[in-house]
Amino acid sequence: MVAETAREFEALEEQARKLLSAFVAAGHEAVAPAVLQPADVYLDVIGEALRARSYVFTDPDGDEFCLRPDLTVPICRLHLERHPEGSDKASYCYNGSAFRFQPRGADAAHPREFRQCGIESIGAGDRENTDAHTLALILKGLEESGLKEWKLRIGDLGLFRALLSAIDMPERWRERLRHQFWRPLAFREELERLTKPVERHAVGIPEELLEGLDPARSSESARKVARYLDDHGIELQGVRTLEEISLQLARIAADRRAERLPVETANLIEGYIGVRAPARAAGARVKDLIRDVGIDITPALDAYHRRLQLLSELGVDVAKAEFSAEFGRSLEYYTGFVFEVQVPDLGEGSPVAGGGRYDGLMKMCGAPAKVAAVGGAIHTERLLKAVRG
Amino acid sequence: MTERLQLALPSKGRLMEQATTVLAEAGLVVRKTGNERGYHGEIEGIGKADVLFVSASEIAWYLKTGKAHMGITGADLVQERMTDWQARAQLLKPLGFGFADVVVAVPDCWLDVRTVAHLDELASSFRSAHGRWFRVATKYVNLARQFFVSHGFNDYRIVESLGATEGTPAAGTADFIVDITTTGSTLKANGLRILDDGVILKSEASLYASKVAEWSPNIREAQNVIMSKLGL
Repeated sequence: MVAETAREFEALEEQARKLLSAFVAAGHEAVAPAVLQPADVYLDVIGEALRARSYVFTDPDGDEFCLRPDLTVPICRLHLERHPEGSDKASYCYNGSAFRFQPRGADAAHPREFRQCGIESIGAGDRENTDAHTLALILKGLEESGLKEWKLRIGDLGLFRALLSAIDMPERWRERLRHQFWRPLAFREELERLTKPVERHAVGIPEELLEGLDPARSSESARKVARYLDDHGIELQGVRTLEEISLQLARIAADRRAERLPVETANLIEGYIGVRAPARAAGARVKDLIRDVGIDITPALDAYHRRLQLLSELGVDVAKAEFSAEFGRSLEYYTGFVFEVQVPDLGEGSPVAGGGRYDGLMKMCGAPAKVAAVGGAIHTERLLKAVRG
Repeated sequence: MTERLQLALPSKGRLMEQATTVLAEAGLVVRKTGNERGYHGEIEGIGKADVLFVSASEIAWYLKTGKAHMGITGADLVQERMTDWQARAQLLKPLGFGFADVVVAVPDCWLDVRTVAHLDELASSFRSAHGRWFRVATKYVNLARQFFVSHGFNDYRIVESLGATEGTPAAGTADFIVDITTTGSTLKANGLRILDDGVILKSEASLYASKVAEWSPNIREAQNVIMSKLGL
């Protein structure tokens, strides 16, 4: 096995040199972030679930580190090191190892250690344009490496967010649906729950407290909660403030008074998530779905179509692209456009490249505010396999 | 290799006293061999058994690796130390002492949080307000993770805590805790409240057998004597 890895090394390096030179020619600076990353960032971004699929360990000082499971977070950290504000514009490219724990055992298609070669664009304002250039450059790299046959799967989490915003419901419900989007089963449960009577939402919370709390009258709610704490001899402790606690209580109270989510609306959301269509036809499909219910998400749909148009202009054959509304559910940090390049021989579970927009990640890594960012990575072992046929 | 049954018992404190008392009441009198401060012993009248006095948390490891054939320790420790405990150990008898619950407890002032579902609902707004996930202090890393997964709750960070876990929310190193409690008074004294659905495990000291230890006929025989005295 060792010998095999060593034999492939030269071929992989040769391929990576080509990819990197294409990326550098397009204006991306080649960088090499650290392999060993503080586990903190990843655990905060992805949550404890990360431990189940990464190599996380404690060093002799008791600090937690991980072998990087991808290179996007390390690039964000590198960018922040150079530009603490985070919002400076920069384009990077890289080639290096990433590591994933494979709970069902590692094999050639699902290795523990693999090499990723990719690009990231941070701080660029025109989102659709940067999305299109990112995907076009990844495809260019793949084709220059000799990949002939591929198909594309795309998604757009911006459409989902726009749909949720356009549907009339309390903000709290939106937050919950957005929050659960990443977990298909929990999402379905949540959606169903919102259509049902609410008694159990507030189970255990003192009735006298909920009565009359209103999210719109925050100082009054806070006073009421403070009085309750006082009367019951409960002291405030921990980082959550009185205002946070009373706001959440007021939201729960408002939630109880709110009408339930109509079943038709729940069906509409389910219907949207089920949309799978050729990229060009997908916009119309979504439009059909929402027209009858009087919902307007024109700006998000326009952005979707503009991105496709820009991709065409950059020479990408969008006829090879399929839109899937559900796509993007696998990695919690994506916020907008997402894509995956598939090769028939390797199957749907083993894309040769993937990426997307992650406007929230820089902030999670420590930037003072959100920063527009998009990137893509090539799974180089798979690419080599696909090119050799 | 060894032709003698290895029985692991807690090496100190109330657990040791209660374990030896329960055994003695069943007619199994445990005696230290050699030095009174040593860690080896025997059971009167059973020639083919050794008693190993080990710290309660290590007994789980002895059962897991087969170093001991039988052992008395808390269910909490067995389930925490062996994620696949049912494959490696067999619960022979709960012994009626060392009662303790492993629970999720939050600051009492969190009036808006009574259940795990409330925590899950709150996770996003907590994160936007404080720029990080909830921190959960615990020494029961595996039990906590399994419990939260089964409730579909993922948005927290575990902070490993090896002592005085109840003090971590007040100290600011954690937001809430997963810990063991017997009467709840320590939690209360620290301004913490158990979630309505926050009991992860009701634990008590129990007698276990290791499924991975080597069981020769001689050792089986010794086990049978112990079992029959205990009425098993």
